[in-house]
Amino acid sequence: MDQVGKLLVRPRSYYNVDGVGELGIGFMLFGFALLQWLQVRAPEGAIWHRMDTFCVYVGLMCLAIHYGSKAIKKHITWPRTGFVEYRLSQRWAGAMIAAPIGALVAVGLSLAFQRRGDLTAPGALLGLGFVAAYAYGFARAVRWKWMVAGAMALGSLAIAFLPAKLIAAVANDSWVSHRLRAEIVGAWLLSMTFFGAILFVSGGISFWLYLRHTQVPAEEGQ
Amino acid sequence: MTPQVRKIADIDRLIHEPGRLMIVALLSAVAQADFLYLQHETGMNKGTLSSHISRLEESGYVGVLKTYRGKVPQTLLSLTATGRKAFEQYRRKLKEAL
Repeated sequence: MDQVGKLLVRPRSYYNVDGVGELGIGFMLFGFALLQWLQVRAPEGAIWHRMDTFCVYVGLMCLAIHYGSKAIKKHITWPRTGFVEYRLSQRWAGAMIAAPIGALVAVGLSLAFQRRGDLTAPGALLGLGFVAAYAYGFARAVRWKWMVAGAMALGSLAIAFLPAKLIAAVANDSWVSHRLRAEIVGAWLLSMTFFGAILFVSGGISFWLYLRHTQVPAEEGQ
Repeated sequence: MTPQVRKIADIDRLIHEPGRLMIVALLSAVAQADFLYLQHETGMNKGTLSSHISRLEESGYVGVLKTYRGKVPQTLLSLTATGRKAFEQYRRKLKEAL
């Protein structure tokens, strides 16, 4: 990439200069893991199995991420290293990329579910796909995040190759396992927790480094 | 003058200056950014950055909006349609010349 090309992608990577991007995704994955865990533990007919509860839960989670990120940007990032407003196309680019990928993943999972085959390969591919997206979105800009991407890849492979009985034990004897295969529920729960934790740690380190290496300029006006 | 040499001569000198090229390239990738962001990304001091922005503003490439973030003055900068077009032309001509 030429030097001008590098400058053109800098504003995009600036969004995660404080680790907020990773913290947001980590929070979302933890949120989904918590919901899944509640569904696994709750008895049949509990509030956690209802679609309206799911919608409210996801809505509240999205609001918390949106306004939480905005608060950190407004009170910490913008006064220290400046404000950036992204173009409308850039703001929707993530959703435009994520939507077809999400649809493909959903189709892949439903096919795997219908065939009741071995889920090791699709599970590993799904995890590695997530790692590739992370590497493209975050690790390109910060060198040490390649270690995070490596850890994520190893973790997703480890989860994919764990014995099915061990993974199924997470969701065995629960109401959810009557509707879905216990291995799928277990693998999903483990993956969400693992990726959420690793992103939370990586984002937290970025945030700590950012606070350590930047400060609000002494003069008031910009 | 050969056509190849003419292409080099046609390059927009206002944008070609390294400091201004950094400013225009950064602004082309966003809707708007403030002075502090450009200072942080380019590593220029306030005086130099101000002088480059003034040149770009005079030529109609950059729009400057003085506002407040709470009680703190803030200078918001954005690339105008003219500036965006000039930058695209600059990149194209530079590629052709090289």
